[in-house]
Amino acid sequence: MFTKVLIANRGEIAVRILRACRELGIKTVAVYSTADRQALHVRYATEAYLLGPAPSSESYLKGDKIIEIALKSGAGAIHPGYGFLAENAAFAQEVEDAGLEFIGPSPFAISSMGDKAIARKIMLEAGVPVVPGTKGTDRFSDEELLKLAPEIGFPLLIKATAGGGGKGMREVKSIEEMPSALNSARGEAMSAFGEDNVYLEKLLLGARHIEIQILADKFGNVIHLNERECSLQRRHQKLLEEAPSPAMTEELRERMGEVAVQAAKAVGYESAGTIECLVDKDKNFYFLEMNTRLQVEHPITELVTGVDIVMEQIRIARGRQLSLAQEDIKINGAAIECRINAEDPHNNFMPSTGHISHAVLPTGPGVRIDTGVYSGTEITPYYDSMISKLIVWGENRAQAILRMRRALAEYRVVGVRTNIPFHQTMMDSHRFLGGRYDTRFVEEEFDMEEISEGKETHLDIAAIIATLVKHEQTERSAHVVRRNARDTSNWKWLSRWERLSK
Amino acid sequence: MEYITTIDGKEFQVEIIDKEHVSVNGKIVEVDFESVRSQPIFSLIVDGESYEAYVYEGEDNLEVLIKGRLYNSQVEDERERRLRAAAGSSKAISGTFYLKAPMPGLVVSVLVEEGQEVKEGDVLLILESMKMQNELKSPQDGVVGRIQVSGGDSVEQRQKMLSVE
Repeated sequence: MFTKVLIANRGEIAVRILRACRELGIKTVAVYSTADRQALHVRYATEAYLLGPAPSSESYLKGDKIIEIALKSGAGAIHPGYGFLAENAAFAQEVEDAGLEFIGPSPFAISSMGDKAIARKIMLEAGVPVVPGTKGTDRFSDEELLKLAPEIGFPLLIKATAGGGGKGMREVKSIEEMPSALNSARGEAMSAFGEDNVYLEKLLLGARHIEIQILADKFGNVIHLNERECSLQRRHQKLLEEAPSPAMTEELRERMGEVAVQAAKAVGYESAGTIECLVDKDKNFYFLEMNTRLQVEHPITELVTGVDIVMEQIRIARGRQLSLAQEDIKINGAAIECRINAEDPHNNFMPSTGHISHAVLPTGPGVRIDTGVYSGTEITPYYDSMISKLIVWGENRAQAILRMRRALAEYRVVGVRTNIPFHQTMMDSHRFLGGRYDTRFVEEEFDMEEISEGKETHLDIAAIIATLVKHEQTERSAHVVRRNARDTSNWKWLSRWERLSK
Repeated sequence: MEYITTIDGKEFQVEIIDKEHVSVNGKIVEVDFESVRSQPIFSLIVDGESYEAYVYEGEDNLEVLIKGRLYNSQVEDERERRLRAAAGSSKAISGTFYLKAPMPGLVVSVLVEEGQEVKEGDVLLILESMKMQNELKSPQDGVVGRIQVSGGDSVEQRQKMLSVE
């Protein structure tokens, strides 16, 4: 049984995993790029080793180097976190071949779920409903897809089988748009994944993105930890998640949970994983994909179920049986997570880089922050823009929202722009308060200015502050000039200095 | 000292009377103004009410963020206002716009050519940073001048990439 874990990641998730290891008394090995020498995960770990230069292709994606460090440092297991190598079946295999434990599912489960077409086929065979679309794992030619498209019906989505993060995905409204959309989807997929195979899926309108967290051990025990609501997205990036989902019913939860467990069993899954589904207005649900890793938004499930998912992952990897049975899992209260990104919501969510000169994090009852940054951190363009996750718990959804408003108002980050104002506006939006939103809400209907309209404004206060700031600047620059004028002349200084050095 | 302060298009006459008193459009209020630990966070108490703001400096403006809302502001004293009036309407004759990188990143592609006519809002260039592709648009109608970067180039923050004349 391993007693030292290498964490092949950076940022908040590396810190999150370190914390679980510390609580279990397990030693930790951090790896880092030159840009992250001063990062928290490097300072918190028991050991730390340099991987290479800042770009992830030369550091956090260097699987062979990471395995070499694990062997050299005597780590018995590797936790990949999310992103980077987390869903790379070849890496998981190499870890196993090196005689190390991969804290995650088997390479087989990763690769079968990684290919979207294979995943759909397995799910259909296991009796899991999938979004209507092309069937089977054949490579379809453009001609075949053009023939199949009208049968599926418009609007539809062209998706890359190797896809993820919205890359290689195109929305098509009519047959006329198909040829050029196929072309660009294949092109994008090729450059992103080195593979241009695509399939078609019906575009469900007004659907919500709801996912089920599952846990499975090495003995075939599988449980689910209920759902997370993740419909609030922009460019297929989740921005805010909540648990439980305001759209959920007890009956639907039970059905989705059962199906998720079935899906996990179909691939002999172990460790933590997530079954992502689309749920339409009539509460029909469809399998979308399985994420074979720890999710960014796992804390909201932890807060409402009381289960430490990362600790469970480590226990499972150590060969323990699940300590919980399905009937032990209850939902207590409600949790919301806001992803705090270094992006300017007032300027089309433009990423913002720079030096965080000052940061005050919200604390107090029911507030949790998972972060890897601190005052003094440099936000570089090399990695993604998420700087922290603000998570709150409340006895019910209404209390959680009030608490999130309070926590957002306390949060101070100086040096980079953040999307905190976006979340603050969201907390004021009637649609969010009413829980009436779908996956298109943020991009198509949410308007920060419109929601702020009619709200109390502080134009006069802004005028006073702006004027005082400008006034101070003018005074300061005038002061600098005056002081220079009063200074002893440089000629006098020179003569004194010459006399001193005689 | 008197200033003309424009907030989101609305003008205010603001006079700094002394350290504790400011007049806004003729109404005198008591203020207590502090910068928090010399950071761009400011705390203002006006007649007993407490406000906090972030102030970001733009090229010729200040952005003030209060309670999650961003106010665009321009502060001028009498002299600056007269100078601007003498120079005629300022914006229209500003002429050349230089597209500068808003952050360090990688130029994915330049979508225009030198000499090409562009309209306000046309996408000029795609810049990748923090794993996101960002479209940079033209703020004015005009003709593309010299292009100083091409696809694949790394750029520093505020580096000039191209101009629209």
